[in-house]
Amino acid sequence: MLEIIKKTLRTGCQTIKYPQVPDIAPEGFRGKPEFAAEKCTYCGNCIKVCPPGVIWLCEQKGEKRLSLSCCGCIFCGRCEEVCTAGAIKLTLEYELCAKKKEDLLSSIRSKS
Amino acid sequence: MTVEDEIEIMGQRMNDKIKKIFGRSLHIREVDAGSCNACEVEVNALSNPIYDIERFGLHIVASPRHADMLLVTGPVTRNMELALLKTYNATPSPKLVAAMGSCACNGGIFGDTYASCGGVDKILPVDVYIPGCPPRPQALIFGIMVAIDKLEQKIKRKEALS
Repeated sequence: MLEIIKKTLRTGCQTIKYPQVPDIAPEGFRGKPEFAAEKCTYCGNCIKVCPPGVIWLCEQKGEKRLSLSCCGCIFCGRCEEVCTAGAIKLTLEYELCAKKKEDLLSSIRSKS
Repeated sequence: MTVEDEIEIMGQRMNDKIKKIFGRSLHIREVDAGSCNACEVEVNALSNPIYDIERFGLHIVASPRHADMLLVTGPVTRNMELALLKTYNATPSPKLVAAMGSCACNGGIFGDTYASCGGVDKILPVDVYIPGCPPRPQALIFGIMVAIDKLEQKIKRKEALS
């Protein structure tokens, strides 16, 4: 009994102060994918490998647009692996919650 | 004002909001609509000593009749479609629906097939989407905070109409 109390006192309070104090995800965490518009070659490798198929390419009047919806993304990191130009990176951002699906969309455009 | 200050105020506001609308607490019913159980593990982690959501007055309850909010996980399989609808109808108004995990948001890795509906929003009106596979417990707490914000707007709109 005394041992248990001693152990409890030694452990102390472990609760994190999350909403009051921001909590940064550990190194190597796979969060929101982000594009680097200047590096992207629009080769379409990431579209081919994406398991849930949430990356797509639109072409309109010679302008290419690459879009990614975080809604449905499983954060596997395959797009980052296959990108030879290094244009797509998974960041540490995890607070992705949104009231509308459209808010979870991110896209880049090619200059033409 | 720094980012830390802003977030501190946000945490305080969350407590105030829950107090005003629900009288101190928000009760959550977690519905597994064909999920792989990764999301359930994260929901379990919410009530452990590290995340401890009970300190905000958020409780996980055993019946939809006790709940103010439904936390739906999974892509909604055909077998769970009717059960989910019944659960929604059993929840007293005003109610919130949160789609937790990528499967609940958009079908995720399962997609829209003969066995799954491909997202909770095909069946129910979803108030807040929490993507992640699975989302971190911190992301869940943030999501619930956003959901409560939406509820306040809903009530205000209702008051303005009547």
